[in-house]
Amino acid sequence: MIIKKKDSKPSKRTRRDKAEKQFVNSIISPLVIYMAFWTLMPLIWGIALAFFEYSARRSGGLFLGFGGDNPFVGLAHFKNMLIFSPDAPLEVRQFHVGVKMTLLFALLVVPLNLILTLPLAFLIESVLDKVKGIFRTFFFLPVLAPSVGVAIMWNFIYHPQHGLLNAIIGKFMGKLVGINWTGDPNLVIGGIPIAIIAIVLAYVWQDLGYNLVIFIAALQAIPQHLKDAARIDGANNWQIFTRIVIPLLTPTIMLTVILTTISAFHVFDIIQVMTDGGPAGQTKVLLLNIYDYAFRYQRMGWAAAVSLVMFLLIFSVSLVQTKLLRSEWEY
Amino acid sequence: MKKKFLLITTILISTSLILSACGGAAAPSESAAPAGKKTTVKIWTHQNTAFLSGYSALADKYMKLHPDIEIIIESFDYDTFIQTLQTSLPAKTEADILTLFGSWVCSYSEGGYLATVPESVITVPEAEEKFFNSAIGGYACDGRLYGIPQEFNIEYGAVLVNTNLAKEAGVAVDGWADWDEFIVDAKKLTVVQDGVMTRAGFNFTGSDGIATMFHSLYLQYGGQYLTDGTYTVNTPEGKKTLELMKRLVDEGLVDPILFNDEENWVGDSYFAETSAIGLVGPWAVPEYSGDYPEVADATVYVPLPSVGAEPVFAAASGWGMSVSVNSKVQDVAWDFVKFVTLDADNALEWNIASGTLPALKEETTGEKAAELVEKFPFFEPFLDLLQYGVFEGHFPDRDFVWYEVTYPRVLEFLQGISTSDETLETIQTEVRGSF
Repeated sequence: MIIKKKDSKPSKRTRRDKAEKQFVNSIISPLVIYMAFWTLMPLIWGIALAFFEYSARRSGGLFLGFGGDNPFVGLAHFKNMLIFSPDAPLEVRQFHVGVKMTLLFALLVVPLNLILTLPLAFLIESVLDKVKGIFRTFFFLPVLAPSVGVAIMWNFIYHPQHGLLNAIIGKFMGKLVGINWTGDPNLVIGGIPIAIIAIVLAYVWQDLGYNLVIFIAALQAIPQHLKDAARIDGANNWQIFTRIVIPLLTPTIMLTVILTTISAFHVFDIIQVMTDGGPAGQTKVLLLNIYDYAFRYQRMGWAAAVSLVMFLLIFSVSLVQTKLLRSEWEY
Repeated sequence: MKKKFLLITTILISTSLILSACGGAAAPSESAAPAGKKTTVKIWTHQNTAFLSGYSALADKYMKLHPDIEIIIESFDYDTFIQTLQTSLPAKTEADILTLFGSWVCSYSEGGYLATVPESVITVPEAEEKFFNSAIGGYACDGRLYGIPQEFNIEYGAVLVNTNLAKEAGVAVDGWADWDEFIVDAKKLTVVQDGVMTRAGFNFTGSDGIATMFHSLYLQYGGQYLTDGTYTVNTPEGKKTLELMKRLVDEGLVDPILFNDEENWVGDSYFAETSAIGLVGPWAVPEYSGDYPEVADATVYVPLPSVGAEPVFAAASGWGMSVSVNSKVQDVAWDFVKFVTLDADNALEWNIASGTLPALKEETTGEKAAELVEKFPFFEPFLDLLQYGVFEGHFPDRDFVWYEVTYPRVLEFLQGISTSDETLETIQTEVRGSF
């Protein structure tokens, strides 16, 4: 008969683990609580603002300025957003334009970004290891550049009288060309303002390096034997790319689509510097709208309501994308 | 027991960290300082090198006269300044003295953030007597004064003219009797190459230029756009205003698609000599003279023609000083404000340092005017014009009316996207909606 002796005290290892846990909890917890507070508080305040007609210029009630001259309006802001009439208040019409422009911007940026980065990543991955790093660095450098600098540079390229683009076109045409790529409201192609296309090009130029490195890493993770097997079976490069690589990259493609979409929804600085929402509101995206109403016109309640709607928009779009692009590939 | 102790310690540390962060900026300075201790007065202003040099010099002068008082000036980048005001005023952490743009003052005073000017400093009738109408207008809210102006903000009335370009084109720079004469001269200064305007004869299509020109011309045509809080521009006067502005475009003086706030902005364009005549305030000359000294030297201001009997123009109340209602040293603060704004010598010293036109009437005549003109010769045509300035009026949000409504709508009209009727109706509706 084996009698199992009950341990009278915990083992050395358990005591050490417990001590470590207590140490970590006591040191890290205050900081975590501190950081959580300062992350959650502005979020909660921002959500609460959406239900008030709030301006920092007016003195409100005792609690965070709510109430008093900053009255509670409930769902009034959200109800106003559903007024689709030419007589709707200016901020409502601008909100509708903002939603349209933001969606258009994302719809242009995401496919263009993927069309450029995926083949480029494949090409870079196929060159000699010695020069791969050089190409990766080249294409990643714009990502590191400040957006304001990128915007100023592209403004120079698009300048109507002194810009590089018009100079090149002028050289071919043999005369001075003065197209205002970012400022002519009459320049529209297929219903899409040229101004927003111009900004999309600038934005994608800066952003494509980011997705490129993600795709390069994902391509490196694809087992070589799968491509070798395909080659043995007679597949050419195009077939390997379309039948092997892309299907196996689907999870990565899904990730980059979601990240690029979220990033496109958040576009602000490049548009503010290049066009500030013009010409004629053709590039006035939601975030610019929020900034103007919150900080220029101090209608923070309305701006907070638009922010909330924007959050729900991004959330919904991300959910839809996750559903559509989910794959069950495994290798 | 040990667990409970750890938990309580964690909560206490977290709470103290949070509360210490909530503490915010230091409380306003004490009022009656104990003997030997200085009374501190803090001033907030936006970053403008010329403005700051003026404030610093006067602060030093004041502190020499009052060794028991210390003045601290803090400045912020413009956008940050506005946001700092918005957050600090409700939190009661603002400075004692706030330098504000006149158009903002009433909205802050309605929020209960600003102290009224004591009658011992100046009364409302006295202020209306001493200062130009448009300069003091923004500081008087519901019959009370909430600050004192330092400068006359003028964005219409006279234009920058490049005398070198004028000479090359054979244009005499001695004023214009009417708009017909002006158009003839400005046309000579316009350069178009292969159908592309490479130099505007008259660049007026910046946001301040368009909005102020629109409202000024409306007044000159005999209209009143703001009556008893009701904004009206969809009238025959409004139509005439837009017609004149469109005529300047149709005559080829400026291409509003190539020249506007976003492209070839008037200040940049004028000093880069891609505009020969520019509608922008005199503050632009000291601002750009460092980088474009030749153009600055060749620049004169010339009054624009008027369509009315008098060259009236709409003007915002410019920068001035207000005192926070939460300041614990209001007496000292107002004393300093009085020293800077109401002492004619000190006020002039600040105007010269900052390159701004004076808000005080007495600075535009006699020796003081001569001193101003000696330093800034291009001020001379303005000194006679200032009397015609009319305060633009109290809007709930003047910047919204100017930059979100008037400028984009009039620009779209000038670019041929909308008609004059549509433009006037839209501006009127959108501005009324902001009330």
